[in-house]
Amino acid sequence: MILERILQFGKKEREVTEDMRRHIQLLCDACNTFKTAMEKQDRNLMREVIDLERQGDSVRRDVISHIYEGAFLPYLRPDLCKFVEVVDEVFDLLKDTASCYLDTDLPEPLRNDCVRVALLNFRMCEMLLITFEAMLEGRDLREKTLAIRIYEKKIDDMKFDIFSQAQEVGVTDFWSGKMLSDLISGLTSISDMIEDASDHLQILNLSTR
Amino acid sequence: MQINEFMTTKVESIDADRSVYDAVEIMVDQHLRSLAVKGTGKSGKTSIDGVVTARDIVFKVLAKGINPRNVKVSEIASRPIVCIEQQRDVEDAAALMEKSNIARLFVCDEGKVIGVISLLDIMAAELITRARGSHDS
Repeated sequence: MILERILQFGKKEREVTEDMRRHIQLLCDACNTFKTAMEKQDRNLMREVIDLERQGDSVRRDVISHIYEGAFLPYLRPDLCKFVEVVDEVFDLLKDTASCYLDTDLPEPLRNDCVRVALLNFRMCEMLLITFEAMLEGRDLREKTLAIRIYEKKIDDMKFDIFSQAQEVGVTDFWSGKMLSDLISGLTSISDMIEDASDHLQILNLSTR
Repeated sequence: MQINEFMTTKVESIDADRSVYDAVEIMVDQHLRSLAVKGTGKSGKTSIDGVVTARDIVFKVLAKGINPRNVKVSEIASRPIVCIEQQRDVEDAAALMEKSNIARLFVCDEGKVIGVISLLDIMAAELITRARGSHDS
């Protein structure tokens, strides 16, 4: 595989791929922390998601800098940067959703489904890391990206139901309703972005064949 | 892989005293192969205690030329429901489905139905297990 050769040669390339792996691993940690915080209703733990997002930002800056310091052939750089930016967007959305959670009292009837979506988001993230590693090893990504799409479909199916249940929950004022809506919307959109990131990996893989 | 990752939490149901015709309407409209049946137990509480499938409706009512408006869901529903806990593995669900010769299992928590897992969900779980390979946790 051309990509395998390109990605394995050179110290700079190795540094970038290692940082990219760290970036995705941090995202997995953030998603797992989010899920646990929601499960245990632990607001302090939820604040750690915001710290993890800051760490993710720092890793993203390192990756982009190393790429433009001369790692990889120039034609590959925009796609690699785009992938890192999409992962960063997932971080941003996760942080915004965590902030919404801190400002909202999640109604009890919605809790189980929301925790389940958070678990599926975490599983999708793990699968993204597996897909990234498979790409570095030059393996076929088809079954990995299919698994990500299956998870995304599951969350998509749940989204409508959660909003329907939310409509039956009384809210005290406009802002509490808006925060709850933003929380559900953010929680159920994270999977869309992870799917986008996986699509970029597939493009990256194909573009080097 | 645990069942709670693959189950569907939305469980469509119908009251036991509604007609089979009502069940047909819901199932055709929502493309469902079965409906949970809500009955009133000895304690007076309403809970899911049966299931009515497309097979039940077609073979027990329509194929016999019986008017579905004249038959209550409770008359053809299968009871008791077959349940599995959400922490059990997908393989356990597949084995129980095979043993009971059914296509869907109810996922229960402390006696309460919280979801349903179907053959299609088990196939999805298989694809994901393969994709995870040695990374499975």
